[in-house]
Amino acid sequence: MIIQGTHTIAAAPAHVFDRLMEPAFLQQAIPGCEKLEKTGEDEYIAHLKLGIGSIKGSYAGKVRLTDRQPPHKFTMHLQGSGGPGFVKGTSAIELKAEGEATELHYSANVQVGGLIAAVGSRVIEAVAKKLAGEFFLKFSAIVEHDVKPER
Amino acid sequence: MKSGTSNGYFGQALKRVEDPRLIKGIATYVDDLRLPGLLHAAILRSPHAHARILGVKTEAAKNLPGVAGVFTGTDINPACGLVPCASSMPGLKAPRHTMLAGDRVYFVGHPVVVVVAASPAIARDALDLIEVDYDSLPAVTNPEKALEKDSPLTHPDQGTNVAFTWLLANGDVDGLFAQADRVIKQRIVHQRLTPMAIEPRGCVASYHAGEGSLTLWTSTQIPHLLRTLLPGVIGVAENKIRIITPEVGGGFGSKLDLYVEEAMCSHLAMRLGSPVKWIEGRRENAMSTIHGRDQIGDYELAVKNDGTVLAIKARTIADIGSYLQLLTPTIPTLTGLMICGCYKLKAVRFELTGVYTNKMATDAYRGAGRPEATYAIERLMDLAAAELGLDPAKIRQKNFPKPGEFPFQTATGLMYDSGNYQRALKKAQELARWDALLRQREQARQAGRLFGIGLSTYVEICGLGPSKIMAAGGWEWGCVRLEMSGKVTVITGTTPHGQGQETSFAQIVGDRLGVPMEDIVVLRGDTASAHYGRDTYGSRATAVGGTALIMSVDKIIAKAKILAGALLGASAKKIDFRNGRFWVKGKPKNAIDWKRLGQEAYEAKNLPANLEPGLEASSFFEPKNCTYPFGTHIVAVEVERETGDVKIVKYVAVDDCGPQVNPLLVEGQVQGGIAHSLGQVLFERTVYDENGQLLTGEFTDYPMPRARDIPEYVIGSTVTPSPSNPMGVKGVGEAGTIGANPAIANAVMDALAPLGIRHLDLPLLPEKLWRAIEEKTAGRKMKKPRSQS
Repeated sequence: MIIQGTHTIAAAPAHVFDRLMEPAFLQQAIPGCEKLEKTGEDEYIAHLKLGIGSIKGSYAGKVRLTDRQPPHKFTMHLQGSGGPGFVKGTSAIELKAEGEATELHYSANVQVGGLIAAVGSRVIEAVAKKLAGEFFLKFSAIVEHDVKPER
Repeated sequence: MKSGTSNGYFGQALKRVEDPRLIKGIATYVDDLRLPGLLHAAILRSPHAHARILGVKTEAAKNLPGVAGVFTGTDINPACGLVPCASSMPGLKAPRHTMLAGDRVYFVGHPVVVVVAASPAIARDALDLIEVDYDSLPAVTNPEKALEKDSPLTHPDQGTNVAFTWLLANGDVDGLFAQADRVIKQRIVHQRLTPMAIEPRGCVASYHAGEGSLTLWTSTQIPHLLRTLLPGVIGVAENKIRIITPEVGGGFGSKLDLYVEEAMCSHLAMRLGSPVKWIEGRRENAMSTIHGRDQIGDYELAVKNDGTVLAIKARTIADIGSYLQLLTPTIPTLTGLMICGCYKLKAVRFELTGVYTNKMATDAYRGAGRPEATYAIERLMDLAAAELGLDPAKIRQKNFPKPGEFPFQTATGLMYDSGNYQRALKKAQELARWDALLRQREQARQAGRLFGIGLSTYVEICGLGPSKIMAAGGWEWGCVRLEMSGKVTVITGTTPHGQGQETSFAQIVGDRLGVPMEDIVVLRGDTASAHYGRDTYGSRATAVGGTALIMSVDKIIAKAKILAGALLGASAKKIDFRNGRFWVKGKPKNAIDWKRLGQEAYEAKNLPANLEPGLEASSFFEPKNCTYPFGTHIVAVEVERETGDVKIVKYVAVDDCGPQVNPLLVEGQVQGGIAHSLGQVLFERTVYDENGQLLTGEFTDYPMPRARDIPEYVIGSTVTPSPSNPMGVKGVGEAGTIGANPAIANAVMDALAPLGIRHLDLPLLPEKLWRAIEEKTAGRKMKKPRSQS
């Protein structure tokens, strides 16, 4: 499953890029994120609580960043699993200056397994898009006001 | 049949004695059982279609209050055997399918860890605390791709995805194809199906440490086969195992297996010293109870211009999933054996390749291999009729064996016992008012509506069967006991689970003994009462199990005549018996009845010398041949152009299952079978994505027929007795499905024929039909301006 989208954020690419590398910012923006910790150079662990269609559950996952070229692009590798199944995916994220703002484009190739696939396959794409939308809405708000969250 | 009474139960449409308890909700299913100290099992299943297990962390689950134990493959597999498969096929490659996955999972739903806890909720919560580290491996789900050289392997150590190859060849196929005027070719995909019994599987195991014996209650079709198979898996001797099958909410072949959960609960009950219950959830059922069908066939039929069929060729692939259940490899071979249908084909070549893929195993599902055969040959007959411009009914009649040609030897080597296919076809045409139906189609077509008529004439194999063709014997056992009170207890080794033999067997025995049905109890589904049996599948219970009862009744009557003679002062030869009464010839007024005989037989004070007390007899019946029920189904449908919806306008089924013990039960079986077919033809399909994820895991994604989808049926019958058993009965459990699939499909294809649509694979979902209609009609619209230019 390919999920892609474009969002405009009212801040310069360098600023957006920096914030995307900070777990504390991300944790606030990621829907259902209960924990996001840096565990090594470009490596994180995450704990999420999410509902996909009728399936609610907790997921633990690892995030790894590669191909990091600030402030233009990076690639994110995600591997998570929980009671309802697993998610595996790779997303390319590109940032482009659009005047004062940044146009962020992401394209993710996602594979889901287990219960999420068995009973959530009809809704998964819509849910993924909705979650991405929620993330960027919150992320934009944080970055635009640049209110650093409390640690 | 000869009857000892004027009760005349045989042939009466009596209501089922089973129904009141089922309707009132007071019947006992496995999940209703409550035992002291009962623990509950829940199973963690693989979300991956193929992966290596790098590690399993169970500490957190073990520490959850209420958890009695958490077990992985390492804990359980060394103490248990493998899941048994009864199919013997030369060169069959079989993975060692253990109770829980070892270092590798190979289908979504593969059991990995089992938790036992004080309540089902705690057991389920504990599953969430288990961490399994998987390293995913490439999976294959398309059986044709699985045969390609660079395909991922379901079982890498086997070096191939081919499980077996099987060839059925008979007669001069090539010569007959050379003589043919035409060869009708069609590729047909028989989609994968999920049986979806309303009651999922479930079991309770209880170990009696003092005796070293085990009782297993399980929702199964085969308690006796389980008692034979379980010792090899859990290491308890056959005579220390008792299997009880309470009420079963639907089997359809899916409960004709020994499943890991049954063996594992038995093992855990022994290990933990407490009874263990496991009840399957609906989503579990969709992924880890066997699936049905899943064959792809390339079929060729050699025909003459006058409609005479000569020979048939098929190259088929059976996608059997990732491992072998009890009869997995056997099922698609039944397709080969029945591929000639009702027709006098002179030669056959059926090449079958069984292929492993990363999916749940397939096995018997309603019809078990025969529906694929009937669907293929009946589609081919329609395609042949269309190509040759012949009437679909006439081309069939032309190729039927005549009634005088039975027993009829088929090109596949079977001996059809008896038949009058012409009579069933004629009766169905009469009931359908065939000519009026043709006129209705003509009028509808003139008005631009998509109206179609479909026909199928089918024959199937039932009454399984002679022991030489069955893995563990095909006989059946039955016992009849006259109690001291004059009541009658019947014990059958078949295991009715919805077919209604508590009623029909009481009718058979009641007639022959001359005892009212109210005085008869039929016991089934408990290996402690029916010591031996071969259970219920393949529409065998009445033909084989009913006969064992008749044999037992006759033994009792013979003994009762000796006893009656002694009491009446005459030799047994001079005793007449009718209507449950015995008297000396010519002195009917001085008769004695079963009640008196029961008392005398067990009080045993007036027995003649050498006569044992009691009035009880048991028998094994070994059939010499299977039975071959047949019939004709006629369906009229209308397809909605704008939506692709199929509406059943008329449904006529004429089935010949021989003499009917209870026509109401026959009709119920036929109706249920047709409902299964409506599902298969119009809605149902089990879908795995290319990564092996099951996408049809519950009813929202796996549509099944509902009450509103079921049409009014016109059900009729003809009666052609079978020579295979004394009652002449043939069996009817699967007939509905076998006859209905091609009839409904042929009707829909007939409706679409004016648009130039030749064949569509099942299921004929509205979207598929709508797209096909759009494609053809859009093409027409485009062609029009071109022809004008």
